[in-house]
Amino acid sequence: MILNYKELDWQLITATLLLSLIGVAMIMSAQHYADSTFKQTYFVRQLIWLAIALAVFAAVIHFPFRLYDFSSYLLYGLALLLLVLVFFVGSSRMGSFRWLSVGPMNFAPSDLAKLALIFVLARYFAYTKLPPASKRRMAFSAVIMMLPVMLILKQPDLGTSMVFPVILFAMWYWSGLSPFYLLLILSPLVSIIAASHWIAWAIYLGLLFVFLFVYRPGLIFGILIFTANLATGSIMPLMWNRLAEYQKLRILTFLDPGTDPRGAGYQIIQSKIAIGSGGIWGKGFLEGSQARLDFLPERHTDFVFSVLGEEFGLWGAIIVIGLFAFIFIKAIRIAAKCRSKFASNIVIGATTLLLFQFLVNVGMTLGFMPVTGLPLPFMSYGGTSLVLAWSLIGLIVAAGYRWQEY
Amino acid sequence: MIFGREKLSVAERSRYAIGFVILIVFFCLAGLVRLQVFEHKKLYEMSQKNRIRVQPILPKRGLIYDREGRIIVYNRPSYTVSVIPVEEVKYRTLPQLSTLIGFDTTRIRSRIKANTVSRYQPAAIKRDVPFETIAVLEEQYNRFPGVSYQMESVRHYSERLGIEAFTGYVGEISEAELKASGAEDLRPGNVVGKRGLERQYDRLLRGLEGTALLEVSASGQIIGEYKEELPKQPTPGADLWLTIDIDLQKACVAAMDTFCCGGVIAMDPRNGEVLAMVSFPSYDPNIFSGVIPESLWQAISTDSTHPLLNRPLRGLYPPASPAKLVTLGAGLEEGLVTAHTTFKPCVGGYQFGNRFFRCWKAGGHGKTQAIESLERSCDVYYYQLGVELGIDKLSYYYGLSGFGSRVGIDLPGEYKGLNPNIAYYDSTFGKGRWSRGLVLNLAIGQGELLVNLLQTAQFYCGVVNGGKVYRPHLVKTIYYPDKAPETITPELSFKLPFSERTLSILKEGIRLVVEGEEGTARHLKNTNYSIGGKTGTAENPHGENHSWFIGVAPLESPEIVVAAIIENSGHGSEIAAPMVGKIIEAFMKKRSKINDFILADESENKGIDD
Repeated sequence: MILNYKELDWQLITATLLLSLIGVAMIMSAQHYADSTFKQTYFVRQLIWLAIALAVFAAVIHFPFRLYDFSSYLLYGLALLLLVLVFFVGSSRMGSFRWLSVGPMNFAPSDLAKLALIFVLARYFAYTKLPPASKRRMAFSAVIMMLPVMLILKQPDLGTSMVFPVILFAMWYWSGLSPFYLLLILSPLVSIIAASHWIAWAIYLGLLFVFLFVYRPGLIFGILIFTANLATGSIMPLMWNRLAEYQKLRILTFLDPGTDPRGAGYQIIQSKIAIGSGGIWGKGFLEGSQARLDFLPERHTDFVFSVLGEEFGLWGAIIVIGLFAFIFIKAIRIAAKCRSKFASNIVIGATTLLLFQFLVNVGMTLGFMPVTGLPLPFMSYGGTSLVLAWSLIGLIVAAGYRWQEY
Repeated sequence: MIFGREKLSVAERSRYAIGFVILIVFFCLAGLVRLQVFEHKKLYEMSQKNRIRVQPILPKRGLIYDREGRIIVYNRPSYTVSVIPVEEVKYRTLPQLSTLIGFDTTRIRSRIKANTVSRYQPAAIKRDVPFETIAVLEEQYNRFPGVSYQMESVRHYSERLGIEAFTGYVGEISEAELKASGAEDLRPGNVVGKRGLERQYDRLLRGLEGTALLEVSASGQIIGEYKEELPKQPTPGADLWLTIDIDLQKACVAAMDTFCCGGVIAMDPRNGEVLAMVSFPSYDPNIFSGVIPESLWQAISTDSTHPLLNRPLRGLYPPASPAKLVTLGAGLEEGLVTAHTTFKPCVGGYQFGNRFFRCWKAGGHGKTQAIESLERSCDVYYYQLGVELGIDKLSYYYGLSGFGSRVGIDLPGEYKGLNPNIAYYDSTFGKGRWSRGLVLNLAIGQGELLVNLLQTAQFYCGVVNGGKVYRPHLVKTIYYPDKAPETITPELSFKLPFSERTLSILKEGIRLVVEGEEGTARHLKNTNYSIGGKTGTAENPHGENHSWFIGVAPLESPEIVVAAIIENSGHGSEIAAPMVGKIIEAFMKKRSKINDFILADESENKGIDD
């Protein structure tokens, strides 16, 4: 398909490219003083990956949306198949099966599953005649989301599986489910927190009951929500408290072997020192001492934002966060103006995925989120992550370009 | 209304979504400002003054006690010399260190490589170094930048008790073990169980490491604890109380002392508790705790008597005459014989086809009844019974008696032995291309049949315990650091395929072995208590015969079964039987002492009550 290139959203593309280039520079800085054998390999590899990602981006914007629409269930099936396959032929790292090796490359089927979930949900919500709060519609979409999640939890990889329900929630919201229902569905989580003290919990349950009684979301739905609150609030802390300290730790590490079991917040402390020591103006490019001496672990992947914070200070971090915010807001505007529901849903799914990873990663480096090992989109070292992020941007740009199409 | 139940318009939805994005951005900005503006000074100083080091706090490894709470495995304090890899690169202190600890530099390098967790954390180089070395390190601190030492505990096993047969030992985790374990709480340089209970219960025994964060100066000196974060305390390992009775274990070691090689195991038939377990020759498990000198390792691993072979667990022998109980039991169950059935008289051997199978007694036993056949251990009787049974039946009964499969004791690495059947012979010799005479050997526990000591002891436990076989086990109670102790309940492993009647005939048979006039172990007869048992002489094509004896006491209500094999020593009646006799004597003596004590105690109490 021939595109009128002038009509592409060049602002969006430029912002993304800027982030990627800043990322490459940070990776270069992070490994600047590393052992000579590694010295420039990460940086060069990331550049090669960026070239590949741009090629994928170019391909994505040229395909018609009908193709994505048509292939969404196929893609979903393929993702499930690969997620099953990973247990048989996947390579295990730290006791968890996450990767398929294709030649010299490692490929995580869970990345494909994220994309597939966005596609399938976008298609389902675009064409279903059921009203947003219909039980069948919600149940079906929840099952669609749970299938890959269960396979990913079995790997096990808790961090990655968390993004799937978030995508579902965003898509529910975007396709018209009122925030009222979303809050009710999320209420069991609140119940777990409220249950830490019985008075708080009793008040909370009372309020919930009154709320349900006044607003009447439907008898079955109401009872379901109330029991879910009751169950999570009473069972979870009970179960958790009965475990010994080392058992809790064991469960946590079982759910996600990637986390540091002896952690004690070492990575977080180092990241906070790196960012904080940067101050407002930063220590200057290639001058970050925390990052340079390897006090900061995983500094080219998970903690690339800390390197930025140390070397470029507050102003550098504000620019990067600003670029991200620009991309997200632009994307939401595109989603709002798209005439095709499918394209609009796709854009929201893609934006959610990027936004979630951004929040979790930056939140981790700033010390208010747990260490999950989710990369920062566009900036962290890693081929698949970069290609996935650029394909998402490709979808957003393509949807913006074709916003008038149905 | 955002929280109404109505559907929002697209414009509203996008407005709220953008609002949400802006909220997140402000959240991140607030975090940034906090760190980079308000806490900048503090964090900048920290980054300058250098640095935080993660120091693992090692948990106390669980202790091991015998059944009466006497400690047999404990930890003693020691010093470990370590090197911080990144500082070694900087200061090049290896030559000095090499002369200090007596490792050459290549060995130190390979140790650094093997034990590095992070380039900033000390990697253990030499464990259990003498205090003098530490004194030198302390005094001449400047000569050894990057070298540090830690207090660590070293495992200590009570000596000369033969306990290594079940305790095993500990050692530094190997690369392969680290990979295979999949345990996230392990890292290079950790000490883990290598064999025996230490390995079986490693997860419980080792506990969970804690961490302290230390502030370290640029030169690597520890300034103090990092105060913002409390150290995470380690969780100590669980203690084990075993079923082993150290008094009995001592008696076993003393009884076996004069022999080169063999094994003995004592069990309580009522619940499968292992009361004693010894493998001879033994070795000192303490040598593995520190750094084992190459020469010592060479000596142990190439010793022709195989001290590292755990005989009760992994020694496989023909069961010989002790297996005759299975053959006789099978004959009784199948209705081929009754207690008084006789076959052709024994004339010192039996002609089968063109081969003459000899009885151990050259002169022959004459006519023998089933009930007497165990007492005399007449081979000819069993040759004929074996022919009537056939391989299929015999192998079936051996299998149901627990031979040829693991007993499932709580120790790693048990060998299962071999219970040959027709399929086995077909695949080994070719279909049908094997002699029918094989069954004669099988009937007397010879031929291809191979068992371990545990299977034999377990079988006799079943015979004297109404056919019920409890799984042999070594751990009685586990004392957890953070929850109620767990007492292991005996587990019924399987039931022997014999009826009450059959079992009573077999029991009478082993009584006669000791108490009958022609009993092969009649020397063990005494007036204080009744013993039953079975002698055995396993033919060994490579040398002198192995000597077997399985003893049971007191026979009316058995409390102990002792199974022993002495390699290359001769007849069971001459070697193993008197040895087991000594062990049983020790057990019965202690038992009567305890009983006397309890009786005395009771009468005393009565006195007070009156």
